[in-house]
Amino acid sequence: MIELRHVVKKFAGRIAVDDLSFTVPRGEIFGLLGHNGAGKSTAIGMMLGQVWPTGGEVKICGHDVQSNRHAALRQVGAIFEAPAFYDYLSGRRNLEILSAYTAPTSATRIREVIDWVGLTGREQSKVRTYSHGMRARLALAQALLPRPELLILDEPSDGLDPEGIHEMRQTILRLQRELGLTILLSSHLLNEVEQLCTRIAVLQNGKKVFEGNVADVRAARGKVALKTNDFVAATRLLRGQNLITATAEEKFITLAEGRSVAEVTQALVAAGLAVEGIWQHEQTVEDFYLNLIRPGTAKN
Amino acid sequence: MFLAQLKNELWKLFGKKRTYIGFGAFLLAQTLMLLTFKYTRWQADFEKLLNGNGYLAAEFISALTVSVVMLIPQIMLLMPLYATLVGGDLVAKEAEDGTLRMILSRPISRVRLLFVKWGAGVIFAVALVLALGLTALGFASLLFPWKGMFVFSPGQAFCVLTAHEGLVRFICSLLFMAVNASVMMSVAFMFSCFNMKPASATILALSFLFVSMVMENIPFFGRYEDWFITHHFKCWLLIFRDPAPWVQICQSEIILFAVSATAFVVGALAFQVRDIKS
Repeated sequence: MIELRHVVKKFAGRIAVDDLSFTVPRGEIFGLLGHNGAGKSTAIGMMLGQVWPTGGEVKICGHDVQSNRHAALRQVGAIFEAPAFYDYLSGRRNLEILSAYTAPTSATRIREVIDWVGLTGREQSKVRTYSHGMRARLALAQALLPRPELLILDEPSDGLDPEGIHEMRQTILRLQRELGLTILLSSHLLNEVEQLCTRIAVLQNGKKVFEGNVADVRAARGKVALKTNDFVAATRLLRGQNLITATAEEKFITLAEGRSVAEVTQALVAAGLAVEGIWQHEQTVEDFYLNLIRPGTAKN
Repeated sequence: MFLAQLKNELWKLFGKKRTYIGFGAFLLAQTLMLLTFKYTRWQADFEKLLNGNGYLAAEFISALTVSVVMLIPQIMLLMPLYATLVGGDLVAKEAEDGTLRMILSRPISRVRLLFVKWGAGVIFAVALVLALGLTALGFASLLFPWKGMFVFSPGQAFCVLTAHEGLVRFICSLLFMAVNASVMMSVAFMFSCFNMKPASATILALSFLFVSMVMENIPFFGRYEDWFITHHFKCWLLIFRDPAPWVQICQSEIILFAVSATAFVVGALAFQVRDIKS
């Protein structure tokens, strides 16, 4: 559904996106991570034909965005952080206006979408009277109007309260479950990305520094939590036997290549050290992200 | 689809309160000018001018005459302000508010979007002129009789017409004024397509018009007056010459259409290569 090949974007000599390539297949929820200014919004802008790439190729739904924008975006919906509307018009009028830029949309379809996002009863109110959550729902409604196959969400939970964030997360899952949409999610909320996405790409200073499955991220460079009566003695022993390569925070060990938790346990017991607990620690996306961006700053 | 998009653009334009500033200001200005004309020495001076030229003032101090008297300063001073205010808003305000990004996430081409917006701007300009002209005539009819028409603008127009002929010329002049307003709007629209604030687009367009007017009035540039857009704006007054210089009027109208088209093309080119970011 999304295909970026060696995409480059320069702004006045500054490289905002540097040789970015990734693909998002149909039906996937793909997360785009990165700090502010990492190039996420620029990349999304290029996917939507709002920002012209300096080099490379961007294809959406199999069509080149630059040369065939109409076909590429025909079945794409997008939501941006702090969605902007014509505040002086009603929610329904906003939907009519925005949908007219895609294709003729029936009143029934508009009603259907309003109902889907839960704005029924408030659609005739002016948008300026809407709460932040209602604006987010309206943003979702406008994105759903063209019956999209692909949804591009740029910080969709930005500014929402915890309840709103939860609601948005559930809605995204519902969209994928019920409508089978492909979703590209750019977010600062690593917890959200972890709960929603099947795959992620991490951008740093415009460059992609990681792309992979969330499941692999959790397992990648997996640490083992070790609870023993003498952590220092235990790790000295394990290092001596080349069973581990690193330790952290007097609680985690990193197994050497090809070594197992059973071997570690056996070695410790044989040396008379009490093993109160030993288990494979699953790292969070947050740990992974922080280690990737600034090694050594992750909590675990 | 184009008509649906145009209709929506008009909803956006006429849904905003600031769109009506021009209409409100014109109503206020007209009321004040009408009362001033009626109850100060202005009317007496005008009658003296008529009598001095051998016309019976009582026959020509009419609704049509007073309408044009009211229109001349408003067209020169207020019209550029309100036409450029709306023209400057059309693209730049949407970019500033973030709604442009919402629109451009949809499969509409940038040129088509601009064409729809420009079309809405032209409709606004025409509506503004019609409202201005018709309310001027309506208000003047309340206090002055329906009689012959006398128009005098130094160096531009001098004519004495019957009521019927005067009305026809008045309607023609409104059409030319609508073209003027559309051109003013188009110049502001062009600046609005660049990466700038709406106020900057309006100020630049006003500056462009002001500089053109100032230069046109410098004696040295008199021989180059055809090169100044404000010179061609005056063609709405030429209709009140007797006989009307149609060739000159047509030339000016063609130039104004060309300026408008050029402004659109320049704006569209600038907009086409722009990156739209939050």
